[in-house]
Amino acid sequence: MDNTIRLPENVLAFARLELQKIADELEGIKVVVLATEDGFDIVSAVRDGSDPSRIAAMASSISAISTVVSEEANLGDSKNVIINTVSGFAVMQSIIRNDARLVLNAIANEKAVLAHVIYRTSHFANSLLTL
Amino acid sequence: MNEYKILFTGTMGAGKTTAIGSVSEAAPIVTDVANTDLSLGKERTTVGLDFGLLTLASGDRIRLFGTPGQQRFDFLWKILAKSAIGLIILVDNSRSDPLADLVVYLDGFAEDLSVLPCAIGIGRLDTHPVPTLEDYIDILANRNQLVPIMSVDVRRREDVVLLIDTLLAQLEANTFGA
Repeated sequence: MDNTIRLPENVLAFARLELQKIADELEGIKVVVLATEDGFDIVSAVRDGSDPSRIAAMASSISAISTVVSEEANLGDSKNVIINTVSGFAVMQSIIRNDARLVLNAIANEKAVLAHVIYRTSHFANSLLTL
Repeated sequence: MNEYKILFTGTMGAGKTTAIGSVSEAAPIVTDVANTDLSLGKERTTVGLDFGLLTLASGDRIRLFGTPGQQRFDFLWKILAKSAIGLIILVDNSRSDPLADLVVYLDGFAEDLSVLPCAIGIGRLDTHPVPTLEDYIDILANRNQLVPIMSVDVRRREDVVLLIDTLLAQLEANTFGA
């Protein structure tokens, strides 16, 4: 697929490095995917054989629906969505750059600590805004 | 008063969001985002769902849901089809292979189409006359599926209402399914 999203090479390099660090350093992480707002994976770190393209599409849908919900409820821009389950969780973090609207999706099993994952994904999102 | 759910599906750009907006009496809920896929000449695309409401003369209310068109969102198709009383498939005749496009949705919703009525609307037939409606009918006949199919301009409220009426008529006459 030919995509209009053209992130600067330094941003892509940073994303590759940081997503791999998140996957390697946080216990329980299964997969981390940086995707476009319309559901195409750009960079990913996979530890469990997940399909990043599938996760990118799902994160896009959930993020878009959460945006509608927050708009309807006058809650302002949606920052992230968390799906907490009996055996893990998914965190979807919106990243609105001037040149691209992105979604970071991290999926983890029950060994992961939700606060750690939120901290790292938020930190990654903030860093991506400054590059 | 009864409430029903109808699902609109079909290719990206076929007009699902527009169709729901044409007949919805309340501002439709849309989950469009910027499209980054250069192979598809469209600025925005639905990635979650569309939603609108239509009240019939009988007082019954129809909840209109629309799916994302692209197959990468097919996980949502089944979720959105739950509890629907019928399915409307929209096809864009200006695409490179609209007959194959139709088959994607006939296959993707095969389970639902075995128990639900369906109506098919073909858009842009005026500017792109081939394939013809007969070509679509042949595709359906080869699959042993009897589904009403018509040329539509989903910007026209009456065309969308006709699609919905076609679904409801099948329900009343019980002439649908495998």
